[in-house]
Amino acid sequence: MKHIVYLSRAVHALTDHDLQHLLDQSRHDNEQQGITGVLFYSHGNIAQLFEGEDEIADALFARIAQDGRHSHVRKLVDKPIAARSFSNWSMAFHPLVTEGFEALQGFLLPHHMPPAPDSLPIADALVVELVRLAVFGPDPSQPYHHALPLAP
Amino acid sequence: MLRQLPAGVATLEGPDLRYGFINDRMRELVGEGQPGQRVTDFPGNLPSVFLEMLPRIYTDGSEHTAKACACGPHHCYDLSVQPYHDEQGQIAGLLLLAVDVSEQEAARQRAHELALTTRHLDARLRVLTETAPLMTYTVDAAGAVTYVSPQWYRFTGQPPTADLTAIWPLLVHPDDRLRVLYESAAGRRTGTGWNFEYRLRRYDGVYRWMLSRALPEVHPPEAPFFWHGALTEVHLERELSEARRRGEAELRFLADSIPELVWTASAEGLVDYYNQFTMEYTGLTKEELGPTGWVGLLYLQEQAAAARRWVQSVASGEPFEGEYRLRRHDGVYRWHTIRARQLSDESGPRWFGTCSDVEEQYRLRQVLQTQYDELSRAHHNLDTFVYAASHDLRQPTNNLRGLFEELRRSASFADPEQAVMLGMVDTALAELDSTLIDLATTVRTQRQQQEPVEVLDMSLVLEEILLGLRPEIMQRGARIDVQVGEAPGLRYSRANLRSVVHNLVSNALKFSHPNRPPLIVLRSYLTPDGQPVLEVRDNGLGMHIDDPAHPIFQLFARQHTHVDGTGVGLYLVQRIVSSQGGHLAVTSVIGEGTTFTIHWHTPSSSS
Ligand SMILES: Cc1cc2nc3c(=O)[nH]c(=O)nc-3n(C[C@H](O)[C@H](O)[C@H](O)COP(=O)(O)O)c2cc1C
Repeated sequence: MKHIVYLSRAVHALTDHDLQHLLDQSRHDNEQQGITGVLFYSHGNIAQLFEGEDEIADALFARIAQDGRHSHVRKLVDKPIAARSFSNWSMAFHPLVTEGFEALQGFLLPHHMPPAPDSLPIADALVVELVRLAVFGPDPSQPYHHALPLAP
Repeated sequence: MLRQLPAGVATLEGPDLRYGFINDRMRELVGEGQPGQRVTDFPGNLPSVFLEMLPRIYTDGSEHTAKACACGPHHCYDLSVQPYHDEQGQIAGLLLLAVDVSEQEAARQRAHELALTTRHLDARLRVLTETAPLMTYTVDAAGAVTYVSPQWYRFTGQPPTADLTAIWPLLVHPDDRLRVLYESAAGRRTGTGWNFEYRLRRYDGVYRWMLSRALPEVHPPEAPFFWHGALTEVHLERELSEARRRGEAELRFLADSIPELVWTASAEGLVDYYNQFTMEYTGLTKEELGPTGWVGLLYLQEQAAAARRWVQSVASGEPFEGEYRLRRHDGVYRWHTIRARQLSDESGPRWFGTCSDVEEQYRLRQVLQTQYDELSRAHHNLDTFVYAASHDLRQPTNNLRGLFEELRRSASFADPEQAVMLGMVDTALAELDSTLIDLATTVRTQRQQQEPVEVLDMSLVLEEILLGLRPEIMQRGARIDVQVGEAPGLRYSRANLRSVVHNLVSNALKFSHPNRPPLIVLRSYLTPDGQPVLEVRDNGLGMHIDDPAHPIFQLFARQHTHVDGTGVGLYLVQRIVSSQGGHLAVTSVIGEGTTFTIHWHTPSSSS
């Protein structure tokens, strides 16, 4: 098992419809391939963390890197993990039209993310936090650190 | 009209001070009191000090205004009283006037609470400003420096008596001085803050780049009068970004030559470069460290807080600074100051970070702590001694008093002088006795607060004590063998344990045999019935235990007159151990050595 994190830029701003399409497509494929993780999207900024068996994850990254919908794909992390930190695959973005998206399964409003699971090493939780920050910018209504565990 | 008055009015008639007129407002204070009844019988909520004054004011006859605050069920009143007169000018009664001051009282209460909160905040702020790694300062509107934190004095090496306002511009690098003076003056003139960098002269004469930021303290509508600011050293980061301006290769060349952990991170806060020293220190490759791997090098309990701080810095662009333990390749953690700041060039913002080893400073702090502990132990010994001695000296004093009493009764004195003398002696004895009691109580109350019983890690406490005795141990070439495996923990007061062990070990060192280096064995174990025991065994001179001419546990008793000492130590040990419900056993062979066995608790008193 490994997880991979990357940042990228959308070639064209993705509409709510595009995103929903991507979500549906990826959810279906990921479920079949045992890929879990999260994708962030905002104003053309993309970040994704996914985890799965080594070959499957590598192959997925190769496919994603080739995908014409985005460019400037920067792989940030590619390393073995002992256990999954995400139970399914989900996506977080600022929808242009909020209604309807709330009800969508697998979709999270950017600042309603659940905290990182305890099994995630802090260094990795920090990666997730930083890419989320890079995609969405600081949440003005919240301190930036709600997904990192409080000091024990 | 009097009834509607927004103040309480009542009259007390005649020398008995019976209620006459009472308006509604006054009801709240006098309660059930009815006209004709005496105020002393129905005082309602009137304060007693006030009641006591009334007859005096009546008999005095002169005009009097007395004030007192009485809190009725709903309100708080200022009470005033004055006599009134009949047509003949005779005093006929007293007029009471109660003015509602609830508002003022509540305001006073609030002010008091506010003052308390402020005090707390103040204390907290003080601790924060004086322990944080950055220096803080305060400047007034005229440019006078009214405060700098202790860190500033440490950095500049200036004495605490330095004239701050005059000296600080002189410590700024001549090339930066005018600019700095101009910018801070401009900030003060326009009522804004400032944010600039300059080189500040360190205690050793070296100039270091500092970042100075300040904000005005504003209380509209007044113009700001104070500016509070912080100074952070940004020297290395600045040099690195200078190098980077000349190219990435230059940056790496410089960074790799620095014997400190240096790294850079993208605008998103993801580390993209670690210098050579980082690899050497951590024993990890760039890939293993990864974009956030540094956080995994910190103490586990400190990782989350450090990560949150980093995210905050990245989000706000604020510099990052903190002290953390960093794991070395061999698993040893060393204290480091981690600093990072964001600097921009043509290719956009980038973070420059350094981790400087401050382990030595931490060691120094620890030595200071040990010395402090030693002092407090010595203090504790002294206390125990005073307490025990005062207690033990009372018995002979009492005996003496009894004797004198007897003497006075049985002997008759022809000479009156002698009787006077005897009285004086008696007084002196009584005084001595009460002094001793006072002494004992003072020390006891003081000590009760500072002697918490806790579970002590024997190996740690013993090590601490031995650290305090290091000079003597070294000087005598003594070997100390500590064996705590059988009973590693002990429920006892730390100060008491330290006193006992310190005294026994220093005794063992003091009375060592001239023909061989001292060997002292400290062994903590449990008796067959589970009671904790500490054995202190030496190979020293040994002593007479049953010799009535040389009692070992008595105050000022000394066995070896050729060795310095006051004869207090063993006495103290004995007192402490028995006061905690334990006992002390000793065996000794002259010329071979002594073994003290401390039974910390008696079987019944412990559980
Ligand atoms: C930002 C982004 C994220 C994507 N995430 C996934 C994903 O998690 N799982 C997945 O199967 N495809 C994902 N895709 C789609 C893949 O790039 C690719 O289109 C898909 O796997 C189908 O590939 P194929 O047409 O070669 O079979 C993503 C595409 C983009 C642009």
